[in-house]
Formats: sequence, C-alpha cells, structure tokens
Amino acid sequence: MNPTASQSSIVSITNVTKDYTLGKVVVPALRGVDLEVHAGEFISIAGPSGSGKTTLLNLIGCVDTATGGVVRVAGQDTKQLTERQLTNLRLNTIGFIFQSFNLVQVLSVFQNVEFPLLLQRKLDKAQRRERVMQLLEQVGLANHAKHRPNELSGGQRQRVAVARALVTRPQLVLADEPTANLDSVTGQNIIDLMKELNQKEGTTFIFSTHDAKVMSHANAVVRLADGKFLDRISAAEASRAMAAGDH
Amino acid sequence: MLQLFLIAFRNLGTHRRRTLLLGGAIASVTALLVILMGLSTGMKESMLRSATTLSTGHVNVAGFYKVTAGQAAPVVTGYPAILEQIRKDVPELDFAVQRGRGWLKVVSETSSIQVGVGGIDIQSEPGLRQVLQIRAGALDGLAEPGTVLLFEKQAKKLNVQVGESVTLAAQTLRGASNTVDARVVAIAADMGMLSDFGIFVPSETLRSLYQFKSDTAGALLLYLKDIQHVPVVQARLRQTLTDAGHTVMDHDPRAFFMKFETVNREAWTGQRLDITNWEDEISFITWTLTALNSLTGVLIFVLMVIIGVGIMNTLWIAIRERTREIGTLRAIGMQRTRVLLMFVFEALLLGLLGTLAGASAGLVLCLAVNAMAVHVPEVVAVFIMSDTLNLAVHPSSIVGAMAFITACTTAISLIPSFLAARLKPVTAMHHIG
Ligand SMILES: Nc1ncnc2c1ncn2[C@@H]1O[C@H](COP(=O)(O)OP(=O)(O)OP(=O)(O)O)[C@@H](O)[C@H]1O
Ligand SMILES: [Mg+2]
Repeated sequence: MNPTASQSSIVSITNVTKDYTLGKVVVPALRGVDLEVHAGEFISIAGPSGSGKTTLLNLIGCVDTATGGVVRVAGQDTKQLTERQLTNLRLNTIGFIFQSFNLVQVLSVFQNVEFPLLLQRKLDKAQRRERVMQLLEQVGLANHAKHRPNELSGGQRQRVAVARALVTRPQLVLADEPTANLDSVTGQNIIDLMKELNQKEGTTFIFSTHDAKVMSHANAVVRLADGKFLDRISAAEASRAMAAGDH
Repeated sequence: MLQLFLIAFRNLGTHRRRTLLLGGAIASVTALLVILMGLSTGMKESMLRSATTLSTGHVNVAGFYKVTAGQAAPVVTGYPAILEQIRKDVPELDFAVQRGRGWLKVVSETSSIQVGVGGIDIQSEPGLRQVLQIRAGALDGLAEPGTVLLFEKQAKKLNVQVGESVTLAAQTLRGASNTVDARVVAIAADMGMLSDFGIFVPSETLRSLYQFKSDTAGALLLYLKDIQHVPVVQARLRQTLTDAGHTVMDHDPRAFFMKFETVNREAWTGQRLDITNWEDEISFITWTLTALNSLTGVLIFVLMVIIGVGIMNTLWIAIRERTREIGTLRAIGMQRTRVLLMFVFEALLLGLLGTLAGASAGLVLCLAVNAMAVHVPEVVAVFIMSDTLNLAVHPSSIVGAMAFITACTTAISLIPSFLAARLKPVTAMHHIG
C-alpha cells in the first residue's frame, strides 16, 4: 500500500491478486504482485507460460478486474472507477496491442485504425485522416489502407493492430506478446516502431514476451514466476539468465 | 455514429445468407400484415359503401309511430320540418335523403318473396347511382310511380323481366291489407345480404301502399362530408331534436328492423325518433368483421412470436460470433451504450429493409388483386356486400405496419445485444466461437 510512490508512476500495482474460478476450482493466476512503472519506461514482462503475464497486462489495461490489491493507472485507482470511466481511461490513456490482433473484419485497415479517434471525437475528419495515414506510413501499410483485414498477412494485421493502439497517442501502451505471431523480421520492425515512439514521444510501453531478442530492447525486464513478482532486472541480465536456461 | 451504421450495414452484407433469411422472414410477416389489413379494411369499406347507399346513411334520423302500443310502424311523420332543422343544425352534412321503409311481399305470376322495401326519390339519390350496377332497364324508370327495382336473384326467383309487372302486398298501419301493382323498370347486380332482402320503389308508391301521408318518411339518411364526424353529429342531433320538442329514443345500436319487438313491448303511442349511425344499421353483419379482425390479430400475433423467436435466436448466434469483436471494441474504449447501439442499428436496418421489401410485395399483391377484380364466393359476397374482392391500401396503415414490425425486431434485438455489451472486455475477447 504505497499510494505516494505513484507521483511519476504511470502504473502502480500493490499486492495484486487475481483468481479465476473454473466451476468450483479457484485458479490463482496472480498471488500478490507489486510493480511500479514510470512514465517513459520501456518494460518487458517475462516469465514462463502460465506465470500470469497476460493476466497482469489485462489488469493494467483495465479490461479485467483484480481480485485483491490496488491497481493504479495514470494516478487513478481502477477499483474506484465506474465502467464508463474505465472505458474512457482505456480510450484516452491506454493503447492495447492484443496477441491475436482482434481487428474489426468488416472495416478497412484505415477504418480500423481510425476507430478509436471516432470514439474520442476530438479530431475532425482531416486531422483524423492525417493521423491515421501517418501511422500507416510508419507501420508500412500506407498502400493497404483500403484493404480488409482478411486480405492481409498475419504480420500486416499485427501492424494494423499496433497502429490502432497508437493512433490516439496514449500515454501507456500495453502489448501482449506483440511479436509471437510474427516472423523475426516483422517482429523486429514492430519493436523498432515501438522503441522509436518511446524515444520520440515518451510513450510508456509494457509488453510481455518470451523472445530474448525482443526483451533485449527493454529498459528493464520484470520477471514473473507462478503468479508472483520474481525480480526486476536489466535487459542484459535477462538475456544472460535466458542464455543460462534460467527461465 | 456513421461508423456504427457502416459496421451494421457491412455486417449485414457479410452475412448475406443470414440477412436474407431474417430479412425474408420479416418481409413475409410485413407482407402478410399488409394484405390482411387490406382485406379487413377493404371488406369494411365495401360494407360501408354498399350499406350506406342501400340501407343507411352515415347518420339516420328514423323512428317509430304507434297508433296502438303494440303496433309500431317504422316511420317519421312530418319529416320536411325535421329535415329543414337538420340542414340548419348539421353543417357537416353533404346531402340528405328521405327513404320510405317497409316490409312487404312481392308476388309474381309464378312465385313470391318477402323483402324489405326502400321508398326513394330517385332524383335525389346520388349515392345509389354510384353503387347500384344496373343489369337491365334503367334506374331513372323509378321516377315514375308504380315501378320497382329488383336485384338479379330476386328477379330470377320471381321469374320476371324488365317491363313485366309484380304485385306488392303489405299491411297498412291500421292493419288492413293493401296491394299495388308495380312495373319492373330496373334489375341491379346483387350486392350481398342487403340486396337479398331489399327492393326499391318510388316513395309515392310506398306511401300509397301503406296509405301514408305525403309528409311521412321511413328515415332521413344523412351523408356527411367526413365520416369522422358521425359521433359528433349524432350527439348534436339528439340534443337539438329533443330541444325542438321531439321525443328521441335511447340509443340502441341495432338495425331498425330488429327493434320492433322492443318497441312494440313499450307502452307509448304516437311518434318517437331514433337516431342511429351506419354501424348500428349493419351491426347484424359486422360481426364478420370483428371475427376477421380477431383472426387476423391472432394470426399476426402467432407469426410475430415465431418470427420473434427466430430473430432473437439468429441475432443471438450473430452476436455470439462477434463476442470477441465486442470485447476488442470495448477494450479499445467503446462504451457499452455504443455497442448496444451498434447492434440496434443492425436490427433496425434489417427491420427497415425487410419491412420495406415486405410492404412493397404486399402492396403489389393488393393492387394486383384489386386490378384483377377477383370474384369472391357467394357466401363471402353476402357478407362483404360486394361480389369482387377489394383490398384497401392506405399508406398510413402500411407505414404503420412497417413501423410496428421494425420496432418489434429492434426491441427483440435489445436482449442479446444488452447481454453482449455487459460482458467484461476480457471475457468477451477470450470468447471462443
Ligand atoms: N480465463 C481464464 N480462466 C481460468 N484460468 C485462467 C484464465 N486465464 C488464465 N488462467 C490461468 O491463469 C494463469 C495465468 O495465465 P496467464 O494467461 O496470465 O499466463 P501467461 O503468463 O500469459 O502465459 P502465456 O505465456 O502462456 O501466455 C494460468 O494458470 C492460466 O491457466
Ligand atoms: Mg499470455
């Protein structure tokens, strides 16, 4: 319980637990995790499969609710917010890149990326167009703006998802294994794009990954094990640890 | 907002088979509703048109005269003064005619029939001219006294032609039998129940048969410019005629010939007025409409339930299929209400397209049936008082049907939409299906 530490923290997690109930069985996915992420950080979350990476990101992204503990995002205790306020937080402060793209199939690439801006209702049509095209340019899909998602390759779809997550210029971008479904070259491109935004705009990134190469770009690697915070180490230490087979 | 419409529209396009199926179902119900409403309204209109010319005005000032308590005659004595007052009191009046009323026996050389009789002044009966289809002879022949108009079936039964004579036999008010001879001047096409039991003779002939004075009528038939005004006019006349010193009977919503028994049982003698409307005068026949309307109602209701369940089920599947998408949209910051709106738009769009198609089809069918002048079986003709089927097509009721069904579709879609929008984003996103 450390509310003062969150001044420059964009994410502040205190003793968070998350249980899933499957029928009568309670599966503890997180068992008391603490985590501080400061604005402008580029953080990787690592850990073996089932360690709770996705669960943690979902809690930070306000798409799920913790069983116990406090999750503060952009200074706000998410437990205290109404569904409407949470939705607005997701819309205006957070960008989410999902592992499985999750694009709207009936909308074009352009329309998919534009969608959050329409929900925000802050920019006029010309401004939206400029913003979307600029991002599509950055992810190398400017020529595919009119295509439907099912006309794109997996890597291209993931790039659309990245563009959609970034289009509102959120303070915080969460990415759950953004490169897991991509070949290494495309994966590298995505990471480069994220890194560039992090450096230019100061956007905070938190992403989970199993990939040591991806991890190596992070400021810090937060390691989870069995639903618990293990340690916070540098990328170099992490790659050493991985090389040593110490997952 | 526009984007929501776009998504809704494209989703309908993407799931073409489902859209066609659902839209087709909605269209069918709409078409059926339009046709059934057309049938019901059309029958009512046919009845109204036939009835209001053959046997009743929109409003009638009729009455009974009793010499002795148990012997009522359906007459209004001193009618010119009453008519004058009505003309003054009813600005809504289009025109008014006086008719003689009676019950008599028509005797030919070979046969005889019992019928009701209308005594008319053919020059002042614009309505009859439009409604009666003269098969032989001429309506204007009734301008001469001692003539009669029969309907086809009656003429056949009596085995008489235009130009031949029949004898009309009746009892006068004082109980004496009287007869007059009448020459058949016109034979008109049958018009259902009302024409089976009615003939027309000139007023003069009727009066001489019953030995009425010349200021005696059976009823004053008032035709209004707008039928909507019937209740108002009816109420007003009741007041003004009472004020003018007439005794007006309590309103009894039955045809005049069904009231004899009641009237004869009452003790009074002299003249009493009875103010009725067209619905009263054909009430003995309108139960068919009520039955038809109930049937239509039940049919539509059952269909709506079936279609409703179908739509709900299909929408349910559609929404389940898109639960992941809903989760994603919620995760990127779409409010629940908007998710709901998105699906409502889809249902609305589907409903509008479906009902539009259905209403058009129904309309075309109605118009086609009208154009073909489909002949109805005699049993039906008796009731609708017309031998061809007429389906009413009123834009307002068609639009009403469309609005109703679209509203139902949309309302039904609210349930699964609401459930989907309520899911936690992460639950929705991980939904398999
Ligand atoms: N919806 C769910 N219902 C029940 N249990 C769940 C659910 N989601 C996750 N879990 C359980 O919670 C634990 C943590 O899962 P989580 O998905 O967060 O792990 P992860 O670190 O993301 O794993 P991976 O690297 O395989 O993606 C696991 O034991 C998993 O079985
Ligand atoms: Mg995971």
